[in-house]
Amino acid sequence: MSERVHSSPPVGSYVTVWALLILLLALTLGSSFIALHGLNFAVNLAIACAKAALVAVFFMRLRRSDALTRLAAAAAVLWILILVSLGLADVLTRV
Amino acid sequence: MSVPHRSSVGEFGMWVFLASEMLFFSVLFFGYLVTRLHHPLGFASASRHTDVVIGSVNTAVLLTSSLMMALAGRSAAAGARRSAAGLLAATAGFGLIFLALKGLEYAHDAQHQLVPWRDFSLAFEPDAGGTRLFFWLYFIMTGAHALHLLIGITLVLTLMVVVARARHAIRHAETVEIIGLYWHLVDVVWIFLYPLLYLVSRT
Repeated sequence: MSERVHSSPPVGSYVTVWALLILLLALTLGSSFIALHGLNFAVNLAIACAKAALVAVFFMRLRRSDALTRLAAAAAVLWILILVSLGLADVLTRV
Repeated sequence: MSVPHRSSVGEFGMWVFLASEMLFFSVLFFGYLVTRLHHPLGFASASRHTDVVIGSVNTAVLLTSSLMMALAGRSAAAGARRSAAGLLAATAGFGLIFLALKGLEYAHDAQHQLVPWRDFSLAFEPDAGGTRLFFWLYFIMTGAHALHLLIGITLVLTLMVVVARARHAIRHAETVEIIGLYWHLVDVVWIFLYPLLYLVSRT
C-alpha cells in the first residue's frame, strides 16, 4: 500500500497542470479577439491539441501507463487521422 | 519520479471504449469541418451569436472538474476514503454547474431565436443556410456532449457512495481511475468544442 502512495505524483503537480490548462484557455480566448490574418483557427486548434495532450498525459495518466494502454490511445488518434484525412481528401479535391 | 506502472485490464478496456467514443465525436467534428469549409460566412456570423462568456466559464469549470477527478484518483490510491469521496463529490458538483450553465445558455439561445428547427432569427442573414447548419451542429454536438457528461455525473456520484461506504477505499482505486478516464475524455471533447463553437470569428 505504501508503495502506491509513494508512486502517486504530489498534489502540486496536478495543480500545475490545471494552472497550465487555465492559462491556455486564457490564451485561446484572448487570441480570438486579435486578428491574426487567418491564423486564428490554426492557433485555436493548436491550443486545443495542447490542452488535450496535457489532460491525456497527466490526468489520464498516460505518462505512467504501460505500452499496451498507450497503444490503445495512440490507435484512437490514428483512426481519427485516417478518418479526417481520407474524408478531407475527397472534400478538398472536388472541383 | 515516474515509477513503472502496470495498467490493469480494466484500464486497457476503458481506453478501447474511449477510442470508439473518440471516433463517434470525430464524425461530428468532421461534419462540422466540411460544413464550415462550404459556409465560412454563415459559420462566422452564426458563431458570433453564441455566448462566449458562458462558454469560457464552462470550459474553466470542466477543466477544474478534471483536476478534482485526478486528485480523487490519487486519494483513492492512497486509501484516503474521506478525501476521495469528497473530491468525487466536487467533480460531480462542477459537472452539475456546467450543465446548469449550459441549460441557462440554451434558454438564452431559445430567447434569441437561435434554434434552427423553430422560428430562426438568422434566417435572413447572408449565407442563411450556413447559419442554420451551424446552429444544428451546435445543438447536436453540445447535446451529445451534455448527455455524456450526465452519464459521467451519474457514474461519479455512484462511485462516491461506494467509496464513502467502503472499508478500504484502496480497493476501489482502480475503479476511480477507470471512471476518471471517461470523465477526462468528456472534458477533452469540450476542449475541442469550445474554440469551434465560440471562437470562430470574434475579431
